[in-house]
Amino acid sequence: MKETMPILEVKNLSVSFDKQEVLKDVSFSVDEGDVLAIIGPNGAGKSVLFRALLGLIPFGGEIKWRENAQIGYVPQKLFEKAELPLTVKEFFILKSRNLFFRDRWIIESISHELKSVGLNQEILGQQLANLSRGQFQRVLIAWAILKHPSTLLFDEPTAGIDLAGEDTVYNLLRRLRDERGMTILIISHDLNIVYRYADKVLCLNKEMLCFGAPQDALTGEQIGRLYGEGVFNHHEH
Amino acid sequence: MNINEILNNQFLLVFVSGIFTALAASFLGAFIVVKKMALVGDVLSHVALPGIGLALLFNVDPIYGAVIFLLFAAFGTWFIEKKTKLSADAIIGTFFTATLALGVLLVPDQELFESMFGNIFIIKPYDAIAVIIASIIIFALTLAIARRLTLSIAAPDLAKSIGAKPDIFYLAFLLLFAMSIALGIKLIGSVLMGALTILPAISARNLSWSLKSFLGLSVILGVLITGLGILLANALNFPPGPTIIIFGVVFFIISLLFKKA
Repeated sequence: MKETMPILEVKNLSVSFDKQEVLKDVSFSVDEGDVLAIIGPNGAGKSVLFRALLGLIPFGGEIKWRENAQIGYVPQKLFEKAELPLTVKEFFILKSRNLFFRDRWIIESISHELKSVGLNQEILGQQLANLSRGQFQRVLIAWAILKHPSTLLFDEPTAGIDLAGEDTVYNLLRRLRDERGMTILIISHDLNIVYRYADKVLCLNKEMLCFGAPQDALTGEQIGRLYGEGVFNHHEH
Repeated sequence: MNINEILNNQFLLVFVSGIFTALAASFLGAFIVVKKMALVGDVLSHVALPGIGLALLFNVDPIYGAVIFLLFAAFGTWFIEKKTKLSADAIIGTFFTATLALGVLLVPDQELFESMFGNIFIIKPYDAIAVIIASIIIFALTLAIARRLTLSIAAPDLAKSIGAKPDIFYLAFLLLFAMSIALGIKLIGSVLMGALTILPAISARNLSWSLKSFLGLSVILGVLITGLGILLANALNFPPGPTIIIFGVVFFIISLLFKKA
């Protein structure tokens, strides 16, 4: 293990909506270059955790990012696409502060990122609403990594991506980690993903139930507590 | 035609200030449609009425009363939405329909009708120049924040994640929208101004394939229906507001034919 200051340190984090506690006393830390998987049943507060980490919602406790940590965020879903006709290229350009011109520099970086998520340039002219789910997710990832953030928060969609597609998205994330030294936090619904790709796992069900390396933290008993007995779909690898 | 003749040509004044009003309003209207607050825009425009009524009571130009009330309402909407997490339509539906009632009580009959539906005859050269300059400023400011605004409205979390402040852009947008409603009050009227912001945008939405085409078409359609509406109103001696809106609806129906799925 390398001795580095963690890129993210969370202490006693709690979040309440209308006096209801959605997250209670969550503490963990993430080292640079780690892949942390966050698992838990629906309504466990996984996405809320991300929103707190991004500073989108008020919280109690402490969230300490390393200074100058750039964070890319891949949300579970985007907006109601129907009301907004947006091409893939325009979606990227929304990330730029500029007006409707002076886009050349960004176009080059966009092509670069598209290549790294396995999409080709032709997709730029397509409407966001017409993409397949898999393509759309890759576009979201490319958008998030556009300015080479040091950390990526990836909120996995609950359903809709076929297994082959899913597999390559995780390979892609791992490649980003390996090539760019990116730190990655994944909200996942699939325990197989955790065993195959994560360095650490955080089990969440409003409060923190486990944290550590998957093989240590994710005991059968833990999974039972997390999801309720008998419902887990855990296959050994 | 020299400059004096141009300034004294009532039709030309109405036509040009109408076109510029439409330019700003239909551009902002596109964002109103994206934010799905078409009805909000409509009701917000009624807020102008009590302002107009009070201004008339105190013998000031009604436009100032309208501007103050609209800006205040826009800010109020933003503030309450931020503090209570109520949606904009709930807030506006609750608080601002009352302003319509208040407006009816405060504004004398003749002015009430004009404030709601516009009057072609009360545009003076000074008004026209003010409207044109204000429209250009509103249009330019909206263009300047267009990207951040789109992201802020459509995906506020994503906007925040890259360090933008969606709240501020949303507020700026509401204030610009309130100003654009105020601009159209004399010519088109407060009731119909709401429709002028929405109609070009929803027609453009049916026809567009990208953000750029959506914004562009919205402005083009806004200018087109306003120009045609004023021409027809002039020819038939109608008030311009209703003819503009009728053209807007016709264009919307045509745009439905082109809508994909």
